[in-house]
Amino acid sequence: MNAREELVERLALTRRAALGGMSDAAFEELRLAVREAPESFIDTPANQAFALIAQALERFERSSEDDDLLDDDEYLKARRKRHARMVADCDQALALDESCTDARLLKALASEDNPDVLLGMLLDMEEPVEAEGDAWDDVLLRPQLRIRAAAVRACMETARYRMAVEKARACIDLSPSDALGCRHSAALAYARLEDEAGFEELDARFDHRSSAWSLLARAILNFKLGRMGAARRSLAGFSSLVEGGAYALLRPILVDTYMPDRPAVAPCCYEEAMFAVHEADPIIVDVPDFASWAESQPAVRAAAQDYADKYGYDW
Amino acid sequence: MSFDPRREDYQRLGLRFARELDGSDPATAVHAFSSFGRRFASMRDTLPQSDADRAFHLVADAAVMVDYQLPFAPDEQVDGLVGRAQALLDEAVALDGGCYDAVRMRFAGTRPSFESSYDFLSERAPEVLAACRAQAEAAAAGSFPDRARLGSDIAMRPYWRWMANLAEKALICGRNRACIKLAHELLELDPSDSADVRFTCALAYAKLEDEQGLDAFAAKNAALERGIGAEDAWMLLSRCALAYKRRDFDGARTQLRRIIDGYPHAALNLMDQKELPEGVFSRLAVGPGTEDELMLAISEATVLLLDGRYPFGAWVEEEARRFATPQDLVELEASKKERR
Repeated sequence: MNAREELVERLALTRRAALGGMSDAAFEELRLAVREAPESFIDTPANQAFALIAQALERFERSSEDDDLLDDDEYLKARRKRHARMVADCDQALALDESCTDARLLKALASEDNPDVLLGMLLDMEEPVEAEGDAWDDVLLRPQLRIRAAAVRACMETARYRMAVEKARACIDLSPSDALGCRHSAALAYARLEDEAGFEELDARFDHRSSAWSLLARAILNFKLGRMGAARRSLAGFSSLVEGGAYALLRPILVDTYMPDRPAVAPCCYEEAMFAVHEADPIIVDVPDFASWAESQPAVRAAAQDYADKYGYDW
Repeated sequence: MSFDPRREDYQRLGLRFARELDGSDPATAVHAFSSFGRRFASMRDTLPQSDADRAFHLVADAAVMVDYQLPFAPDEQVDGLVGRAQALLDEAVALDGGCYDAVRMRFAGTRPSFESSYDFLSERAPEVLAACRAQAEAAAAGSFPDRARLGSDIAMRPYWRWMANLAEKALICGRNRACIKLAHELLELDPSDSADVRFTCALAYAKLEDEQGLDAFAAKNAALERGIGAEDAWMLLSRCALAYKRRDFDGARTQLRRIIDGYPHAALNLMDQKELPEGVFSRLAVGPGTEDELMLAISEATVLLLDGRYPFGAWVEEEARRFATPQDLVELEASKKERR
């Protein structure tokens, strides 16, 4: 979530509404001015709360920069502390504006480790969204879209695949650009449900644009349907189109809760593969021989090994 | 009805014995038959039998060892039992290359991966069907209808078991659509569902979250109701999982209540969720509505209970705890300690 950008947009919109009748060019000027010094434009409790959330997110990200250097116990301790701080920050924001959706969302994500309970909380936070055109284009509607995308992921965590697909589709209907990537969760859910028609329809809706999720989901789907030749080819596709994809799949690592949504990364880069593999983990485990089959594909294994050698990763 | 290897061995020899008596006068036949049970038990070799019958007898012995004795055997006896069972199966195949129970069990003894089991069973299924059908047709040619029916039924059983095992493997391999297809094929050939493959199939519908499919399947098989006053535990667990997945917690609780009301010591077993080794001959023969049956159902429902990062099984355990007696909690503790 690019909270800083959203803050600027919110502040500019608030100021425009206060001033009334402004040309597009003037609004562009205003936007630039806000970007230079957002603090001086904060004039409502709601914007103040949102500014606190933007700070809290920056603090949260900074505090996780050195996680790689910690051992397991230290990591868990640091994580607990980081999450507690986030909860405190959200409380502060909510004291200013109790309807600050992002504060409620982040607080729920930081405080609730049981995804079943979390899902219930998220569903309670959902409010009807009415948008003309793509809801994402209205910065004030984005928090509700984030709630929905987090709910889709909580559905996946609790093995509610049908619900994940339904909620993802509803969210995509509200925002066809799908900036939050609900389609990625849906692709995995369709693979898990062995629903090829659903998978293909969704893939076509996004012009068959490749992503780590869609490529991996296709390999899993073909494997589950017993089409081993197609499964081999789609896995080879995942391995060759996604940077470090094979390595991410064969040597999965822990990815922490998204706060509040998936970090933005380049399509088909190693980080994306890491996210996709992490999100797919319960589905991969559900096909007990998938991982060993993938590792037994010589090209995939070689690609993973090459990637590890190139970057000095463990193999 | 499940498959009891001893009973089947008895039925096979009984049937052959009866055939041999055809043509003798009724008094002799009655006299001879009165001695059958005793001879079966202690002088088996004096009874008429084919190589196939002998092979099946070895299968039955191996099945009892692996499926019924091994789980309770102390560690030091395990290797011995496994070795003896393997030897019996080798001998069975040597006697009768068409002894498909032995072929299947021997392969399982090589500890193959789920995938290779699935491939093995799937590739050879047509061959097994053809062989069993040929046997069944020969058996059906006899003049006494009851005997012909039993004879052809016995001839088909190795294929029922083969397919039921394949469906189970498909479920475990995460090939739920294949599992459903296989189960339907088997039910088409054996509408009485000797192998209870519908239990496995119910779990596959739940895995695919296909509620309509499960309802239609349950309705289609309603005639197979076994008189325990409720649906079987596989169906109830499947329905419970589907309600949970919909977040219909009251609905899920209703299904759990049905299990708890219908099966003895259900709360304990629903908390414990023990995974048992799969029967190598077939699903273990246990009574309908018994605690043992519930344990088998829960073990096979592991694919549902452990699905996802925060699984349905955790919710089941929590809910069942409300129905637990103090004694259940003591036993649960002991069981968990034993597993550690």
